[in-house]
Amino acid sequence: MLARSCLRSTRLFNGARNGANTFTKRSFSTSGSGASTESPTKLNIAAVASTALAVGSVAWYYHLYGPTAHAMTPAEEGLHPAKYPWVHEQWFKTFDHQALRRGFQVYREVCMACHSLSRVPYRALVGTVLTVDEAKALAEENEYDTEPNDEGEIEKRPGKLSDYIPPPYKNDEAARAANNGALPPDLSLIIKARHGGCNYIFSLLTGYPEEPPAGAQLAAGMNFNPYFPGTGIAMARVLYDGLVEYEDETPATTSQMAKDVVEFLNWAAEPEMDDRKRMGMKVLTVTAVLFALSIWVKRYKWASVKSRKIVYDPPKASNNVRT
Amino acid sequence: MGIWETFTDLVEAATPWSTAEAEAPAEEKDSAQDEPQEAEPEEEAEEEAEEEEEEEEEEELVDPKEKLEEDCKNSKVCAPAKHHYDECVERVTNASAEDEGKEDCVEEFLHLAHCASQCAAPKLWSVLK
Repeated sequence: MLARSCLRSTRLFNGARNGANTFTKRSFSTSGSGASTESPTKLNIAAVASTALAVGSVAWYYHLYGPTAHAMTPAEEGLHPAKYPWVHEQWFKTFDHQALRRGFQVYREVCMACHSLSRVPYRALVGTVLTVDEAKALAEENEYDTEPNDEGEIEKRPGKLSDYIPPPYKNDEAARAANNGALPPDLSLIIKARHGGCNYIFSLLTGYPEEPPAGAQLAAGMNFNPYFPGTGIAMARVLYDGLVEYEDETPATTSQMAKDVVEFLNWAAEPEMDDRKRMGMKVLTVTAVLFALSIWVKRYKWASVKSRKIVYDPPKASNNVRT
Repeated sequence: MGIWETFTDLVEAATPWSTAEAEAPAEEKDSAQDEPQEAEPEEEAEEEAEEEEEEEEEEELVDPKEKLEEDCKNSKVCAPAKHHYDECVERVTNASAEDEGKEDCVEEFLHLAHCASQCAAPKLWSVLK
């Protein structure tokens, strides 16, 4: 449009040059199609208006949709945990198995009273947390149902390596009844099951303040924990300094125990992690070898093509060829 | 036990990817017998009351996280959050009977706790094992 109107105005200029008698005609037509004399102002106005429209629409959009609506208060949302530099979360690092061993001790002595670990069998502990003998001894402490015998009776037998760690309660109802209506979740996948993973569980375990902040409303039997969404959690603080006695004589501070048990729970949630990382390394190594090999093979295959030289050697023009 | 096993043993010992066996060495058999005694949390819970008294006398453990976070709360970084929190606590505790329950300091507490934990997080791991 702009280009066409410009063209038209130049045409009109040409007409003006031709004679004065076309003056009236020109003034008529220019007033109709945007005068050449007025065009800078009008263009300026148009530019300013369009810019104002652009800025205005952006501003209006952000007025309408810019601020995020939070349906929940920060307290209901729960405090987001700080990011801790977990060693086992690094790409080329495994679980610290000494920490796993300590963490299992914490689980067994503290958490196991209320929380089950139903997806972890004793055999999984062998070689990662315990030795075979230790795991066997541990399994034998519990009784499990046998297969029905000849008379169809189900007897009890001591546990074996293939048995799973027994839950503290018979079922969820029993667990609720024993814990004031709150169900202690199963811990086998808890690291994967909670937003924030290791950092969240660690912060939750160590984050109980000595007393709730002034004015905080807590339901009966609830404890204040800033990291728990809603800040009222049924589980009271369980980890206190010196609660367990580590066999490797690590000082059992609250945060040390929390770190160990969180690492253990992460192992429980993804016991394949060490293998997975090793497999990843294998894949990268083999791929690197194959890549290098492919480059050498390519060089070899192309060697004849790349190094050949096509030479046209024309016969010398001479008159006495056919003498 | 043929001669082949000798070779495979030698190769396994030399290769870095040889697997570590999970079986306990023979010396540990004594400690394995002690294990079951340790692994009875119910009994320990009863004894804990006595043990705790002993432990308090023996050593006073200081949780590094609490100490670091306390330092962080009093540091310059968290001064604004702490200021708001302290002010809120003062206001709420001094509130009159009618206003009671209208305001709480949870949000101020969250800001302070967030600041303190963010500040202490990188330092904590160097202290813990």
